[in-house]
Amino acid sequence: MSEQAKILRFPPRQIPESLSAGAALETAQHYLSTPEENRSQAFREESLSNCDVLLAICKLLRDSMEASPATSASEATHLYRWVANPLSVVGLFDEREYLLGETSLIAAKASRLLGRKREAENWLDRSEAAFRHTVNPSPSLAGIAFERLALRFASGQYEETLELLPSLKASFRKLGMDLEHAKAQFLEAVTLRATGKEEEHFSLMQRLEQEPEVQGCPSLHGQILVHIGNHEASLGHFEAAARTYENALPIVLRGNRPVALCELKWSIGNAYRGQGSLSKAVESYRIAKNDYLQLGFRSFVTQLSLVIAETLLSLGRDREAEWEILSALPTIEEEKMVPEGLAAVALLRESVRRRKTNPAALRALREHLQTKA
Amino acid sequence: METEDPVVHIQEDPFEKEVKEIFQDTLGLIHIALVTHYGLEEGEATELEKDLYLWFLRFCMRPGNSSVRESRPFLLVACCQFAREYQRYVIGAGVRQSDDRLKRLLDREPADVARDFSRSLELLNFRYHDV
Repeated sequence: MSEQAKILRFPPRQIPESLSAGAALETAQHYLSTPEENRSQAFREESLSNCDVLLAICKLLRDSMEASPATSASEATHLYRWVANPLSVVGLFDEREYLLGETSLIAAKASRLLGRKREAENWLDRSEAAFRHTVNPSPSLAGIAFERLALRFASGQYEETLELLPSLKASFRKLGMDLEHAKAQFLEAVTLRATGKEEEHFSLMQRLEQEPEVQGCPSLHGQILVHIGNHEASLGHFEAAARTYENALPIVLRGNRPVALCELKWSIGNAYRGQGSLSKAVESYRIAKNDYLQLGFRSFVTQLSLVIAETLLSLGRDREAEWEILSALPTIEEEKMVPEGLAAVALLRESVRRRKTNPAALRALREHLQTKA
Repeated sequence: METEDPVVHIQEDPFEKEVKEIFQDTLGLIHIALVTHYGLEEGEATELEKDLYLWFLRFCMRPGNSSVRESRPFLLVACCQFAREYQRYVIGAGVRQSDDRLKRLLDREPADVARDFSRSLELLNFRYHDV
């Protein structure tokens, strides 16, 4: 570069000192394990001014998102602000835009997992705006499209989700993104189930379970097995379901995806309930609820409280059921999980106050929350 | 044409080795694009090539990107965009004069220019396999 260009400070470039993947990951881990309040400005600048470290932090946040979505959302937000600051030194060429897109996408996914749909949409808009200015934006934009469909699914827009999935799957195929293609098929399968197409859901899950890219991804593989087990249990094939859950357990553990383990425990509870082993079902549900609580998934904690309450009522343990309901109602209101004036909430509250829980209102509220989830 | 090795301080693993090989394979074309077409001085081109290598290594690691070999056309797009921004800045600051040929090139979309280069690359590959 000519002396004149150096004086003119073009391009505003990082010192081209690259870190090995291992060294970048180590610095990234050190950065993330340092509590927010202990990160001095100098420490931030030293860590974040290296693009390899920034990318390694993004990788760590992506990997840990399902275990700690609140942390991922908060860290991704800080990173986004750092990268967006024109005074920050950020990589070369399109890397600032790429990192803006990546941090926004992480924040969007984490927000969705936390049930903050509006925030998730805003982050997706930011991500799309940034990725559009990168070289080869197609894979990233396809990732955003997937996230938008996952949000539609979470909002109960099943028909639209099914309508738009074929185009997304074609994009993933064209781009050679086989694992993402499998994830899109998984989304299709769960949407089919949500629309009552149980058989189509089951056969798609069975097909997916055999795919090599699925077998190479324990987190997805484990989740698929849990769904297969659920279907078997719903048909009353409890032995087959128990075998499937047993196969799923080590895979789910290997996938390091705590939320999948919660799903498995919830499913085992459902299977016990289906068999009529209600006490064992309550036990499994409570373990799953506690795990969701640790992960910060308040929406699932609330749903499980209602599921536990229903099961306790069937066992004749009405007082315990009331406690479960009373623990769930404040969250339902705080998080605005139901439309204002939903009759089931008022009926349930009143029946609990009278110490005569209304099972129909409880079921209606639980079904409403599960459909929305 | 002799150019300085633009690859700096990288501990090589097999992936980085592959990236380096592809980059080295393309370096001749990159250098021609920077010096002959975009009119950069030799020293300027060498510096940009170093940055371009670091960028390409990280680009190939982005989730969803296909194989390193298939990422080569994007390397050329980045090269042309890098060069265009640099020359526009230098000319705009009055440090260097432009001429009609350079002006026409700077007016073209870097992706289009890169596509032309990619065609040359395909032609080279074709000849290589033909042999």
